[in-house]
Amino acid sequence: MRSGDPCAVVSGRHTLGVVTDTPAAYAVSDLLDILDLREVGTVHTGWAVASPSESPTAAVTADIATATATATAAVADLAVEVGAGSRVARVFAGPSQKQRYQRTFGGQLLAQAIIAAGRTVAADPAGAGRPLHSTHTTFLVSGADTDEVHYVVEPLSDGRSFSTRRVSALQHGTLLAIVTASFQEASPGLDHAEPMPAAPSAESLPNVAEALAGVPEPYAVVCILDGPIELRHVEGHLYAGARPDHVARQGVWLRSRRPMPDDPIIHAAFLAYASDYSILESVLRRHGTAWSDPRLRQASLDHAMWFHRPGRADEWVLHAGHSPSASGGRGLGLGRMYAADGTLLASIAQEGMLRLKG
Amino acid sequence: MAAAGVAAGALANVLANVLANVLAKMGSGMGAILSVPRDSLTLMRLPDSAADSVADLLDVLDLTCLGEARIVVEGAPGDEETDLGESTPIVFVGRSQKQAHGRVFGGQVLAQSLVAAARTVEPVDGVARPIHSLHAYFVRGGDDNHPIRFVVERVRDGASFSTRRVQAVQYGQTILSMGCSFQEPADGMDHQDPMPPAPDPDDIPTLAEALGEHLDPSAAQFFAARRPIELRHVEGNIYVKPGRQRAARQSVWLKARAELPDDPVIHAAVLAYASDYPMLEPVLRRHGVAWQDPRLRPASLDHAMWFHRAPKADDWVLYTMSSPSASGGRGLGVGRMFSADGALMASVAQEGMLRLKEG
Repeated sequence: MRSGDPCAVVSGRHTLGVVTDTPAAYAVSDLLDILDLREVGTVHTGWAVASPSESPTAAVTADIATATATATAAVADLAVEVGAGSRVARVFAGPSQKQRYQRTFGGQLLAQAIIAAGRTVAADPAGAGRPLHSTHTTFLVSGADTDEVHYVVEPLSDGRSFSTRRVSALQHGTLLAIVTASFQEASPGLDHAEPMPAAPSAESLPNVAEALAGVPEPYAVVCILDGPIELRHVEGHLYAGARPDHVARQGVWLRSRRPMPDDPIIHAAFLAYASDYSILESVLRRHGTAWSDPRLRQASLDHAMWFHRPGRADEWVLHAGHSPSASGGRGLGLGRMYAADGTLLASIAQEGMLRLKG
Repeated sequence: MAAAGVAAGALANVLANVLANVLAKMGSGMGAILSVPRDSLTLMRLPDSAADSVADLLDVLDLTCLGEARIVVEGAPGDEETDLGESTPIVFVGRSQKQAHGRVFGGQVLAQSLVAAARTVEPVDGVARPIHSLHAYFVRGGDDNHPIRFVVERVRDGASFSTRRVQAVQYGQTILSMGCSFQEPADGMDHQDPMPPAPDPDDIPTLAEALGEHLDPSAAQFFAARRPIELRHVEGNIYVKPGRQRAARQSVWLKARAELPDDPVIHAAVLAYASDYPMLEPVLRRHGVAWQDPRLRPASLDHAMWFHRAPKADDWVLYTMSSPSASGGRGLGVGRMFSADGALMASVAQEGMLRLKEG
């Protein structure tokens, strides 16, 4: 799953890197468009108990062989225990954004899955008024950026205060990602938040055009100017080269480049989308590398996000990132998103595969 | 309230009841082996010693393979997009540790699910693939009297990663839904947060000593000796009384109380099991709440864990935790597990429901 590099996002309206009019407005409406999912229908997922297959994983072959008699004798019991029978899942579909790498952007899948899950929760009488509070995602393989992605939403539970959904992102029957999302009825309770780290205001930092002055194209043009999210790095961006301070933390101000509708789940989806841009940059920064490093091979493996308080993605948000560890070709990035007034909006965690080849 | 005839010596029992409730609430090993009827403690499946309690935990993690189930997905007619055909997940079954409240301890299901997934990941060309991450949602409470089935879907076996999805089910309903990922060993960038300074675990009171402040020492000793995981709080425990300082961070030394088999899956599972005990304590500490607070209604909602370096759960582990936020009846805890020599073995994150009910 390609992620992180905002250069990867190329608006579908541009061809050959030529920018047409009002790219920023177009990029935001393009993202809003792909979040406007189409409901396709339903699928039925039925569980049954089977006799052992011909080629199970070797580690369990012996177990399965000895378990055959037991399993067969206990078919009825097991069928009940594992919930055999038919479950209905709603299916939604949405188009993909064009990418420089022709692979779907992880943030897009995440944002669309959030919308799909949210639609089924909002439609449930018990779920109405339950905002999203967390998502956990496993990224499996990249999809083709030319094709639609289907989202199969299975209800895991609708309890007294929580609703959970599991969303499978599919393209042509191949699983691209699994997103689990939890929604909760608004509730009072204990309240505290880690304070926002000191950072210069977004307005005091160079805008993207200034920051990229002197950066050779296609980066300057294709990379950032077109994206739906404006980013201003406190310690300098990593699009064109490494930075001298090899520290495992950074701050990035971000916001949607145009005002957005008030729907809270759209803002949550935008923040999730935006988090996938820069969450692994604290790893790159720590090791003195950058997105432009030709040796870099990178992919998102997972993503977790906790939405603490409602926030707006079209106002400045400080994404403070930190990497506690990298090892074995993987790096972990942790992040916190603050509104400009210091309100802690969300916490994020993502592990990425990060290799320097050659 | 107790009748007038309560003997003076019954104070220890009252405290023991409080403690058993506390530990049941946090799902700890001590609550796990006690049930608390109206006016006396009744012991249930009580291991005789630390070694027995670890053996009991290992027995719980020793799942039995039941065979394969079948998942049939019927898409809309002619819709190839969602036509997943059939898949054949492998089903395991395991038992539960007894809990005073009758509900399965979250750390136990987590550890069992990890083991179930790992048992379906084969070495590729002789190279084993250790677990590097898990993400789980606790969907429903489990019944500790009923076996748990673990349905493991082999989602993907790629060139270097294997992905599994596990559902822990009882009575046909999912109680935990987990995704986990395994990777063949690889080289690459390497860094880690340094281990924060902490006193030596041997200089921190044992649980028996710490509980001795509240309990009859022999009772404290009795409880403490029967837990699979030893926990020593650097800033003092918050079982009975809130912490002295209202800080949203704490450190705990922990380890299995007996040697574990030399199996990385078991060490990872025991770390996952142990990580669930104190993960939400930074939230409670920050708000001056002790586990025994009768208003407290805690529940784990999710759990994420990243295994950075080889796990070892039967030597001292420094578990440093903080809570970046609490709001809306929920609190987030994040933690890091260091080996005693300072290697960062794992990072952990968990959101819990933490409500204080009045009246």
